[in-house]
Amino acid sequence: MKEKRYAIFTTVVCLAIGALALQLVRLQIIGQDNARQAARGNAFRTQRVLPARGGIYDRHGALMVYNEPTYTITVTPRYFKADRISLLASLLEMEDSLVTVAVESARRWNPYRPSPLFSDVSFEKFSRVQENIFRLPGVNHEISQKRRYLAVARAAHALGYLGEITRAELELPDRRVPERQYRPGDLVGKTGVERHYETDLRGTPGTAYNIVNVHGLEFMKYNDGMDDESPRDVYDIHLAMDAEVQALAESLFVNKRGGVAAIDPSNGGLIAMVSKPDFHPEIFSRPLEDSTWNNLIMSADKPLYNRATMNLLPPGSTWKPFMSLFSLAEGLVDSTGPSSTVYCPGYHPTGRGRIFRCLGVHGHIDLVGAITHSCNTFFFEMAARMDLNRFKDYAHMFGFGVHAPTDIQEQTPGLIPDSTYFNDAYDYWSVGHVMNLGIGQGDMGVTPLQLARYTAAIANNGTLHAPYLVESLINTTTGEVVSPQDKPEASKIPIAPEFFELVRKGMRNVMEEGSARLSRIPDIASGGKTGTAQASGGLPDHSLFIMFAPYDNPQIAIAVQCENAGSGSECAAPIASLLTELYLKRELPESYWMRLRMERALGAESASLSG
Amino acid sequence: MRTWYRNLDWTVVLLWLALCGVGLLAIYSTTHGSAQEFLLASVQNNFERQLVWLGICAIGMVAAVLIPARGLVQLTPILFVASVVLILVALLFGREVGGAQSWVYLGPFGFQSSELAKVGTILMVAMVLSRKPTRGTGSMSAWSAIALLLLPAILIVMQNDAGTALVFVSLIPLLLFWGGYSMIVVLLMVIPAIAGYITVLHWPTALGFVVLVSAVLYLSQRNVFLTVLAGTIAGGTVGLTAFALHRILRPHQVARILAFANPEADEFRSGVGFHLIQSKTAIGSGGLFGQGFMQGSQTQGRYIPEQSTDFIFSAIGEEWGFFGSLLVLLLFVLLIVRLLNMASKTHHPFGSLVIAGAASIFFIHVCVNIGMVLGLLPVIGIPLPFLSYGGSALLTNSVLLGLALNMYARRDEFSMYF
Repeated sequence: MKEKRYAIFTTVVCLAIGALALQLVRLQIIGQDNARQAARGNAFRTQRVLPARGGIYDRHGALMVYNEPTYTITVTPRYFKADRISLLASLLEMEDSLVTVAVESARRWNPYRPSPLFSDVSFEKFSRVQENIFRLPGVNHEISQKRRYLAVARAAHALGYLGEITRAELELPDRRVPERQYRPGDLVGKTGVERHYETDLRGTPGTAYNIVNVHGLEFMKYNDGMDDESPRDVYDIHLAMDAEVQALAESLFVNKRGGVAAIDPSNGGLIAMVSKPDFHPEIFSRPLEDSTWNNLIMSADKPLYNRATMNLLPPGSTWKPFMSLFSLAEGLVDSTGPSSTVYCPGYHPTGRGRIFRCLGVHGHIDLVGAITHSCNTFFFEMAARMDLNRFKDYAHMFGFGVHAPTDIQEQTPGLIPDSTYFNDAYDYWSVGHVMNLGIGQGDMGVTPLQLARYTAAIANNGTLHAPYLVESLINTTTGEVVSPQDKPEASKIPIAPEFFELVRKGMRNVMEEGSARLSRIPDIASGGKTGTAQASGGLPDHSLFIMFAPYDNPQIAIAVQCENAGSGSECAAPIASLLTELYLKRELPESYWMRLRMERALGAESASLSG
Repeated sequence: MRTWYRNLDWTVVLLWLALCGVGLLAIYSTTHGSAQEFLLASVQNNFERQLVWLGICAIGMVAAVLIPARGLVQLTPILFVASVVLILVALLFGREVGGAQSWVYLGPFGFQSSELAKVGTILMVAMVLSRKPTRGTGSMSAWSAIALLLLPAILIVMQNDAGTALVFVSLIPLLLFWGGYSMIVVLLMVIPAIAGYITVLHWPTALGFVVLVSAVLYLSQRNVFLTVLAGTIAGGTVGLTAFALHRILRPHQVARILAFANPEADEFRSGVGFHLIQSKTAIGSGGLFGQGFMQGSQTQGRYIPEQSTDFIFSAIGEEWGFFGSLLVLLLFVLLIVRLLNMASKTHHPFGSLVIAGAASIFFIHVCVNIGMVLGLLPVIGIPLPFLSYGGSALLTNSVLLGLALNMYARRDEFSMYF
């Protein structure tokens, strides 16, 4: 009797618990993948680890740009509760509506991922949020960095600035690469080096895998952090720029508008790139006030505009070395013999003495003399003899009228006219239009960068280097040194070296006995050429100057544009000369010649646009 | 003559130790670790308190083993009355915990009156059923047993603790069965429970079950009256359950009952279904070998409410995997089957019924608790014996086990007193 009931009871027990075991099989063996996924979805959080943005150094290794920590509050809209908006707003001392709007925009982007909504939160506010974090599900933080600028030089246009990524920028092909992990609210380079080298400076963010609890708070590392990926491929940038020269240039440009480009003739590295008026790049490291931004974009002085690479002015007499090389190469004039001179009566006969005037009466003058004394008649004559389209071809060879292959994205190609241009622009045109081109006036526009590059080509016998800001990139973790990937080859200008020699000789004379004699460097031989370009609107002329030094072994080629500041020798020449001397000597020794140039440089002013 | 302690069943003692050890580990894992600070303060020290309780339980168990059989029989009515009084005291003056008005406080210790009442009730029912069934009195003692079980059950329902009441009700068929009453009668009691369960899951299947039961009964017994009775009871349950679900019960009550069948449904997932989704997710993600002690993201992330008490098995499922869970099930099967075996070898009906009563209580708790955690049964808040945190339940279960050991050890000397 008992045995039978014992057997039945035991069977029932085994059946019932067997049913439980079967359910275990269902859940743990058949359903384990789904359950693991669900558990992962619950608890697994991927956190992006942004590396410190690369630093920027000058050519001597002086630190120019570095980072400082800032605190960013992120919100994952899926886990954020709407009734906590006012709590978060009060902790951040913001209006509720601002928080609502920010959370809503993050939700539209991706409700499941943390969006960095409130950046550059002060340490006090950050701490307050952390104290209340258990009441704020879905709220987290990222410690990021803001750009700080150490050097005396601002170099605002060369370095560029960072700004919050726009919707359009997020959609760019190289931003959509998943491993780069761009998100709304991220900072990206908007101009200059920060923009062109964005990928290298930012690197590839790492990933931390964390486990969060039911309240959305991290409480342990997934797999003890074994699967975490560190950020990688961040590069420090070493510029060709000399911060001291850059700083001097910026300080000499008080009360002036204009641009400077200085190039190393042996490789195209940019020693200085100045555009004035400018702005302090650090204003972009904080949330930007609307009024500041409006001033930057509305000001007549256009501080955001990079004059060194975009400002088109006629080259004036700085164009004459080009005309010389072009004429010699094309055989418009000989270097020696009977066909090597032009007669200058103080004007060119085509204009019957009224239109094409020279600065003096030079008599029979050869090419070197024409450069030395900046004889207009000689170059009017060359222009009268030339084929306009060949002129354009040679100008392009020297980098005028075309985009420079460079790591500066903000640039304009400039204007070099050819017959097509004149046919389009004028109903009727004659040799008179063309002759003005001989002295760098009329329908042409060149930038300081183009002038500097061309001066460098004169200095090095015709090698036209691609100008560049960045010399090398150093991987911050491996220390590996790499060159910028997109550095183009230099091109060779097909003009005989002896012709360059002649032109340099003329330019040396300019420094020693010509228009730039007051701007010579006392103990270093150099070549230069002043230029004075007529300005429109009744404003004073634009002051231009190109220069290279030392004469025998050129290490720097520089071009200076000062808008509406008078003749080339007044403003641009002393600035170029001081920068050259500082670059070559790494100091400015006290001397009569230094003071003279300093006074002339500081005394010059651009006529006001607004007044 | 062998002394009683030589008859002590050490297998059961070892199983008790093993289950309590597993429970301690699981409670430790659910209340310690990096996320401890996010737990309620009242839960944080559950591991340490369970250790203290275990000490008390060991004393209780030893006392239960040592108590002489004669004294126990004399004590039985007093214990039963005391249990009922305790429930009444809790109902009138007790403290409400987790919605149930069943707690009585003795200094720092809280006792759940409905748990403690199990001991007295089992003993009382065993005594009533063990009177020699003679013609005419047989059904009389059955009705008394049913009444003795229903009285505390009704009081406990009034305490708002339907889960524990259900345990008392479930004891009726099991104890009657072990007491030697007609298996058909027992079957007629069990059939409506099964029919009701199937109705909740899928009512057409329940109708099929009614037809099947009637057919099987008719073919095996050839008794038209019995068949019609069984069919009517089963069919009536199906109808009544369906009617209750759709007409009588309020939506939130229906939700509590139905949620287990489909916890993912939108109307349940953030409320009643949340327990189950998280519990099933935890168990499933354990896989074959588990995530490892203190490594389960569900357990450590505190995704499962009540995890150190009613949902303790989900922590075992996640961190110890299929093999760990199976081991726990196996320990329970061994314990229950061993107790039933002891009960069958104890010839005196009182001793045999006490042992079987303990086994039945463990059996009901294991099935209902693990069934709930695995999503097979509605969320009925009753603890898993020896594993869940909770002093009253641990003490009750340990004392029941001690009494079972006592009865078995003294199975030979028992008949002297009757």
